[in-house]
Amino acid sequence: MSEVSKQLLQGTTKQNPMPAALMLEDGTYFAGTRCGATGEVYGEICFNTSLEGYLEVLTDPSYAGQIVTMTYPQIGNYGVSLDDVQSASPALSGLVVRDMCAHPSNWRSGLSLPEFLKMKGIVALEGIDTRALVRHVRDNGAMRAVLSTEDVSPESLLAKVRASAQLVGENHVQRVSCDEPRAVGPADLPEGHKFAVTESEPGRYKVVAYDCGAKESILQNLVRCGCDLTVVPWDTPAEEVLAMNPDGVFLSNGPGDPEAVDGTYTQVEKLLGQVPIFGICLGHQMISKASGADIEKLKYGHRGGNHPVMNLRTGRVEITAQNHGFGLVWPTLGNLIPNLSGGFKNHQPDLRFWARAKVAPVVDNPRFGRIQLTHVNLNDGTPEGIAFLDIPAFSVQYHPEASPGPTDAHYLFTAFTRLMDGREDYLDIDIAKDRLAGWNFSSEAKGVQNA
Amino acid sequence: MPKRTDIKTILVIGSGPIVIGQACEFDYSGAQACKVLKQDGYRVVLVNSNPATIMTDPELVDRTYVEPITAEFVEQVIEKERPDALLPTLGGQTGLNTAVELARSGVLEKYGVEMIGCDLAAIERGEDRKLFNDCMAELGIETARSGYAYSVEDALAIVEELGYPVVLRPSFTLGGAGGGIAHTEEELVTIVSQGVELSPAGEVLVEESIEGWKEFEMEVMRDKAGNGIIVCSIENLDPMGIHTGDSITVAPAQTLSDVEYQRMRVASLAILEKIGVETGGSNVQFAVNPENGRMIVIEMNPRVSRSSALASKATGFPIAKAAAKLAVGYTLDEIVNDITKATPACFEPSIDYCVVKVPRFAFEKFQGTDDTLSTRMKAVGEIMSIGRTFEEALGKALRSLENGREGFGADKETAPERAVADGEEFYQLVARPTADRIFYLAEALRRGWTVAQLHEATGIDEFFLSRMADMVTIQENLRGRRLEELDADALRLCKRYGLSDAQIARLTGSDEATVRTCRKMLGVVPAFKTVDTCAAEFASSTAYHYKTYDAAETEVAPKTRKRAMILGAGPNRIGQGIEFDYCCVHASYALAEAGFETIMVNCNPETVSTDYDTSDKLFFEPLTFEDVMDIIDVEQPDGVVVTLGGQTPLKLAKPLANAGVPIMGTSPEAIDLAEDRDRFSAILDELNITYPAAGMASTFEEACIVADQIGFPLLVRPSYVLGGRGMGIVYDGAQLEKYMAEAARITPDHPVYLDRFLEGAVEVDLDALCDGEEVYVGGILEHIEMAGIHSGDSACCTPPFALSEAVQDQLRSIARRLALRLGVVGLINIQFAIKDQVIYIIEANPRASRTVPFVSKATGVSLAKAAARIMAGEKIAQLNLPPDDRRLDHFSVKEAVMPFGRFPGADTVLGPEMKSTGEVMGIARNFPSAFAKTQLAISYRLPEAGKVFVSVCDRDKRAIISLVRDIRRMGFEIVSTAGTARTLEAAGIDCAVVRKVSEGTPNVRDMIANGEICLMVNTPFGHATRSDGYELRTEAVKHGITQVTNLAGAQAMVAGMEAARDHRLNVVALQDLPQW
Repeated sequence: MSEVSKQLLQGTTKQNPMPAALMLEDGTYFAGTRCGATGEVYGEICFNTSLEGYLEVLTDPSYAGQIVTMTYPQIGNYGVSLDDVQSASPALSGLVVRDMCAHPSNWRSGLSLPEFLKMKGIVALEGIDTRALVRHVRDNGAMRAVLSTEDVSPESLLAKVRASAQLVGENHVQRVSCDEPRAVGPADLPEGHKFAVTESEPGRYKVVAYDCGAKESILQNLVRCGCDLTVVPWDTPAEEVLAMNPDGVFLSNGPGDPEAVDGTYTQVEKLLGQVPIFGICLGHQMISKASGADIEKLKYGHRGGNHPVMNLRTGRVEITAQNHGFGLVWPTLGNLIPNLSGGFKNHQPDLRFWARAKVAPVVDNPRFGRIQLTHVNLNDGTPEGIAFLDIPAFSVQYHPEASPGPTDAHYLFTAFTRLMDGREDYLDIDIAKDRLAGWNFSSEAKGVQNA
Repeated sequence: MPKRTDIKTILVIGSGPIVIGQACEFDYSGAQACKVLKQDGYRVVLVNSNPATIMTDPELVDRTYVEPITAEFVEQVIEKERPDALLPTLGGQTGLNTAVELARSGVLEKYGVEMIGCDLAAIERGEDRKLFNDCMAELGIETARSGYAYSVEDALAIVEELGYPVVLRPSFTLGGAGGGIAHTEEELVTIVSQGVELSPAGEVLVEESIEGWKEFEMEVMRDKAGNGIIVCSIENLDPMGIHTGDSITVAPAQTLSDVEYQRMRVASLAILEKIGVETGGSNVQFAVNPENGRMIVIEMNPRVSRSSALASKATGFPIAKAAAKLAVGYTLDEIVNDITKATPACFEPSIDYCVVKVPRFAFEKFQGTDDTLSTRMKAVGEIMSIGRTFEEALGKALRSLENGREGFGADKETAPERAVADGEEFYQLVARPTADRIFYLAEALRRGWTVAQLHEATGIDEFFLSRMADMVTIQENLRGRRLEELDADALRLCKRYGLSDAQIARLTGSDEATVRTCRKMLGVVPAFKTVDTCAAEFASSTAYHYKTYDAAETEVAPKTRKRAMILGAGPNRIGQGIEFDYCCVHASYALAEAGFETIMVNCNPETVSTDYDTSDKLFFEPLTFEDVMDIIDVEQPDGVVVTLGGQTPLKLAKPLANAGVPIMGTSPEAIDLAEDRDRFSAILDELNITYPAAGMASTFEEACIVADQIGFPLLVRPSYVLGGRGMGIVYDGAQLEKYMAEAARITPDHPVYLDRFLEGAVEVDLDALCDGEEVYVGGILEHIEMAGIHSGDSACCTPPFALSEAVQDQLRSIARRLALRLGVVGLINIQFAIKDQVIYIIEANPRASRTVPFVSKATGVSLAKAAARIMAGEKIAQLNLPPDDRRLDHFSVKEAVMPFGRFPGADTVLGPEMKSTGEVMGIARNFPSAFAKTQLAISYRLPEAGKVFVSVCDRDKRAIISLVRDIRRMGFEIVSTAGTARTLEAAGIDCAVVRKVSEGTPNVRDMIANGEICLMVNTPFGHATRSDGYELRTEAVKHGITQVTNLAGAQAMVAGMEAARDHRLNVVALQDLPQW
């Protein structure tokens, strides 16, 4: 930034700008200014299209190893409420925004986002054309990047990024999982959400949750539905879990390449059929891997809060929160069972075929029997959810806990409790009714209605 | 689920004339809906009394009825067309209310018409506060504590419990009409007593005040499968207490954390379900207490609204189009996202820019009214701007308003806020919400107010204020530097903070042209980004662009064929309304047919022109030289159309031409020839055309000399204005002196024109096409009111009802000679006055006039389309037009719609300054019937029985006699003041004498207040506004009594009343009239 520019910025919320830069491995370079901690970080460049919920995004452990770009240009507007964080220590590599807000405004805000970033040591860049960056990633796919406040020289940054580690094949889960089992219950629900959500139900289910980098909001949702949680490390042996005699097992979200997380999916294979299981995101991929399916890397992933997903069993569309760069290859779960798949004999290249046909197809899985495709992404036809018909297990690729994002899929938590209750119809829930569950709309002031 | 096949014909009700609170956004949504229904193979029948709309174009639907939107007329249409279904949710409150009336009275049942989209019960739950509050209570969602009052006593009892201040909302009124905030008992009594009368249900909601809370809106859509989406969230910059239509608003919501936003989202969806909106779009408004997050739902509209038009433009999601599809049975997942063409419409748009909407006001037109903004909407239009940041968008927004501002802050030394010294007055101007408050915020920041101080004074969220503070800080850091000191980086910084070239020029002591040159030399040029509904996650195929200084990458497609750019009309304001947008849209269609790639530039979110599929490319940008030139630089159009969007683009003609831009049609030189009085007079002399004696003056002294030469009365006006802004009639030297002082304030750089005023002359408007060789007269419009009333405010009739063929021939001949001499290529509008058999030319404007859509509908010839084709090089001979002197066997009347109800205290007398917001059209076999239809279209009923109050000035006393005789003959009783009564009694007409207001009580005002008077004929003379007549006229407005303030209008009214009484007014479809 030029001297004159610095002088013009004197007295604004952005005075004393310090240079920072982003370099992609293909040589695409963006120079801007620093808006978080100092340092030099590496990661896969990705973008998230949520309009609000930046704090939940950047504290989501699934972003380990990634540099996240927010597509909404002005970030930090409502500050930071620590009640909203998804993990105590953010795992992402770095943050890129168009414009960082240093003077936030919201009654719940305790500190500004730049302050939070500095406190947590997160390197962040602002002032670049993030839309150009997003379009570049969209067209050219996810790739490695370096974000630096120490070195803004394109040449040396390019050399460094090309020498950095690849995301594929790396196990980031072990880094973000817990070291020891811990109990999570109603007492752990954040005080600062009480204005908006109701008290939790009494604990009725004993649930073991594999922590592959679980978001706090997932655990909170399980607790609110009546689960007494024991959160265990990602590679806890199945035998230990079964020894706890749980009513159900939950498989969490988590970062990176699922192939590298064999410490989890090999145990899941042993758990499937033994106990009701529900998996979200990486948990969904773990179940898929355990069933012998292939996982593919998506070109630039799904990250945002507006993806339409159709529940093929009901025909209803949910607007979902998503965060994944890998996905299940549905046909690899097994051959179609035509009489359970609307008479269709062959796998379809685009799964939106099933949405139009309003059929939830079923495959014959060599390991676990019949598996139904329950959810499909209407934007690109990727699989979003499966349910096992012969054993008690189901999973979704997207995020019913949202945080951030729409809460249409909250019913899946309810479904898990119904699965643990042994109900056959556990998934058949009216999403509109369920969506209201748990929200608190009214304050103490109840006045003279219709005086 | 596929579309329904059990319905074939669908009736769509429009929203009628443009009024405050219900503007052309309903043409945008209605036109979208009609188009999509027709594409789906339905037979569409439309009723809308507003001729200036795209939706009433005869080719858009199967049967178009430009008829009053009343239950009686719509029933006639139903009887004739037998629709299977009625879609009531796209015509604003008017459409909805009429549908409700038809449903309640059993008409729909009688003819087997099904209401689709939203049923009667749902409308009632949404609109009736009691039912609505009950629904909310069942959901556990809070509403403001409240009670219903049916009288002042009721209201006082409720306030006992709630305490002051309280918000008052009469039920079922348009745009919150009659509502307000009462801080004292006195205010309560005033508002409640009015509100009870204004409300069709006679009830007023008395509510706890949540003034100062944050206000949000959610635009929600739902399909019959129960899928629901939020299209857009909107946060009001102005806190609660100001009608959302009068607020500056920002999309998306800026200061809600995810948990707060999601709670609001879930509540919005639940509200839609609970109210029972089966399919379609709705808008839900919330207030949030900034101290503790307490959320209250304010209201919901179970229909497409002004906000949904804004949300559509802000996100690219076509709410009305989707709503129409959902109403006929599709589900959201079956509709393709129009923008990406690859993903479904069942999603929530993500945007990667900030949108700011700013209302446009017209208080200067309504002297005597309070300009404080309140819960009752007063804005006449709005603009929207898109930037990558709030700062960039705000800067753009404030230079889009067409009010002489160049952005936020850095204003001229002569700006009014600069003149107010620090102190209580300045504080009040900052604290009190007014049209110009935003500029006082900038000035306060310039004077060193802190964000906290401003928040304290205004209640505006610190987030916004802090952003504004940064903008002003940068401006003040820039002030006094020389332009040469700025490097590329610094210039880009200024642009990113929303500064216009003009502002940079002012701050650096340079001029706009130099800043532009300098900027471009340094490579500081903008990029154009795309509104794509998905924040670039998917590729999109729609060219809907905005400009930004995030310039790493620009997204406009390279040129592959010849391009035509059409400059739109900017914000709706009085004098420049939807008519010009209509012309621009038609030009776009015609130029596309002629093989051009069409490019639209406009900043008005309410319009059809800013629909992304009207033109090949849409640039949502301010219509300033800088912004337009930036687009021209990248698009390189082969021609730019400046003559169809009214004064806004016209004033750019010269600077654009000077910059080497090819102007299509009439050359800027020819435009100047008509605008420049001296050059124009010389041409008239040369052509032997008579015009009123005229002169020009810059000072009072000069004006006196002119007055001596041509004599009083004089018609005086500033040059280069539209809608008669600042125009007046002066009868003596004292008035002239006052006027000259005022004019110097409005347009200091331009002189004042003084014309001999032709009192009592008949005025005529003529719209014609010219291709440089041939002239085609599109229509001759005879005004009903005499000269002296702005043509936009006077009713007119085509073909003329009282002009001889010979006179009409003469008018056509003059028009031919003049248009050819001026070198018009495209449209020209000429205004004539005829007095004592002499035809005078008052003025000629070589551009589209506001009568073009009306004339087009009346004659079946689309003048705007023809004009565009001529501009593109075609000749009139090639256009296959019917002879322009053919005889039409129907009469079409256009009548202006006045907004006086919104501006208590403003006088209702019509004059040379335009005050109307919209217009209606009536078509019938004869003039009185057509006129009667226009009156029904405006007021929904004509006086049928009761007392008529007559009080006229001395000039009109002789002429009133025969008129009153007609009124008596129809069975009305006459009441009049002593002077008029003497005249009437002398003529042998019975009448009761009533006291003037100044003569003590009981007087005529009491009769008006008691509802005894059904029609008031009151003609004033001169300028005595604070007189008795003024009191009466404003009182009549308050009580919604039909009034006429001039003799010619009264004659037409009486003839119309008689026509309506004697034979049924039949409906007629445009398709049954000759169309060319």
